[in-house]
Amino acid sequence: ARKFTDKHEWISVENGIGTVGISNFAQEALGDVVYCSLPEIGTKLSKHDEFGALESVKAASELYSPLSGEVTEINAALADNPGLVNKSCYQDGWLIKMTVENPAE
Amino acid sequence: MVLQSSLKNCLHLSCILRTPKAGFRSTTSGGLIIQSVSNDVYQNLAVEDWIHDHMNLENRQVLFLWRNSPAVVIGRHQNPWQECNLRLMRQKNIKLARRRSGGGTVYHDLGNINLTFFTTRKKYERMENLKLIVKALKALRPQLDVHVTDRYDILLDRQYKISGTAAKLGRATAYHHCTLLCNADKFVLSSVLKSPYKGLKSNATPSVPASVRNLFEEDPSLTCEMLLDAIAEEYATQHQIDHRITLINPADETVFPGISKKTKELQTWEWVYGKTPKFSVSTCFNMVYKDSVLDVKVDMDVKHGRIEDCNIDLPEQWLPPALCSELVKSLTGSRFSPDETSTLAATLLRVCPHDDELHSRWNLLCENMVTLM
Repeated sequence: ARKFTDKHEWISVENGIGTVGISNFAQEALGDVVYCSLPEIGTKLSKHDEFGALESVKAASELYSPLSGEVTEINAALADNPGLVNKSCYQDGWLIKMTVENPAE
Repeated sequence: MVLQSSLKNCLHLSCILRTPKAGFRSTTSGGLIIQSVSNDVYQNLAVEDWIHDHMNLENRQVLFLWRNSPAVVIGRHQNPWQECNLRLMRQKNIKLARRRSGGGTVYHDLGNINLTFFTTRKKYERMENLKLIVKALKALRPQLDVHVTDRYDILLDRQYKISGTAAKLGRATAYHHCTLLCNADKFVLSSVLKSPYKGLKSNATPSVPASVRNLFEEDPSLTCEMLLDAIAEEYATQHQIDHRITLINPADETVFPGISKKTKELQTWEWVYGKTPKFSVSTCFNMVYKDSVLDVKVDMDVKHGRIEDCNIDLPEQWLPPALCSELVKSLTGSRFSPDETSTLAATLLRVCPHDDELHSRWNLLCENMVTLM
């Protein structure tokens, strides 16, 4: 199931690993993404922590962690193709994967 | 005419700058115009951070006016080696700052004015702000041919860029800031914004170079003060607020609690250089030694501003191979910085026998390595 924050990030949890991305509303509002700044694997995040930023033609926009956990994977495809966030925000444009420390969150 | 408030207004300001708690009523509604008394780029960028993090902009918008002594300011995701002449900047004592908003690289000096429009995220509207500036300029000098492009630049005479824009969107607040060239040193500007570094490959956001012009060149009667006043006047009119500009001191912790921590962070090597997106350097240079010319090939991967991987291709036996591999080992993991490289080169040399020939060859190589940084 995909859950949304009020900041328009989504998280989809499977087997204890959550995949995080931004919503269609958010990617539309941002405009063409030109750069994705993502954290290192192993970074520990608390809910609401800033974990990176997206730079678009509109502005630099911070990304906030929807849950607490540890970053297990980042989407390497975004380095050369940041536009994936706009084109496929729910599939190929995912941002990070993280462990879910507190399922209640 | 816009009146400049004295510094004793700052006490009043400290009340309205803090996030209102339950029951607090702001004495100013609608908007606020503030101007920094400091010309330090780090202090002024820290003010932006502070307002962004601490002020509640639900019922109030803020215009922040500031000027800096000579500095190059790069965007959040840019590569300073790609964007500017760091060597020249060090020689001329021109500071390098990385801002938190996106966008490209600009040169600031006292002939350039900076304007920051703070709003809630919802009310973020760059075009509106830039049109306000153009309106103010035309009210001041009706004959000026200035207009806003769809890239959010302001052009003079349809060809010269006089203003560039960048922005940051936060959780609840946003800011849009822009420059405005009044009387900046164009000679210094063009020389520091030209990068001498070759062979860089990176996916950092690049700048879009443009021909620039100062408003002063168009109309020598214009000064920075006049432009600031005209823009403040227009902002005050449009937001229906007091025309007074409140002076603020970015070093005052009582007005901006926690600001010196932000100022310090903006000056750290980790922020300015370390935030550079991963890049690689693949270049060669010629060294003239006595009667021969030597080709040297250097390949390096730089991540977080540190050399991750390093390869130096030298003519065989020109230097002891063991020493060369020591150099490569020392460079790996160290900062991509002239100071750090010179220091580690000198350290390595100290454990070598005092051989004049060796020393001059070593110094020649290391001097050349340093010019890449």
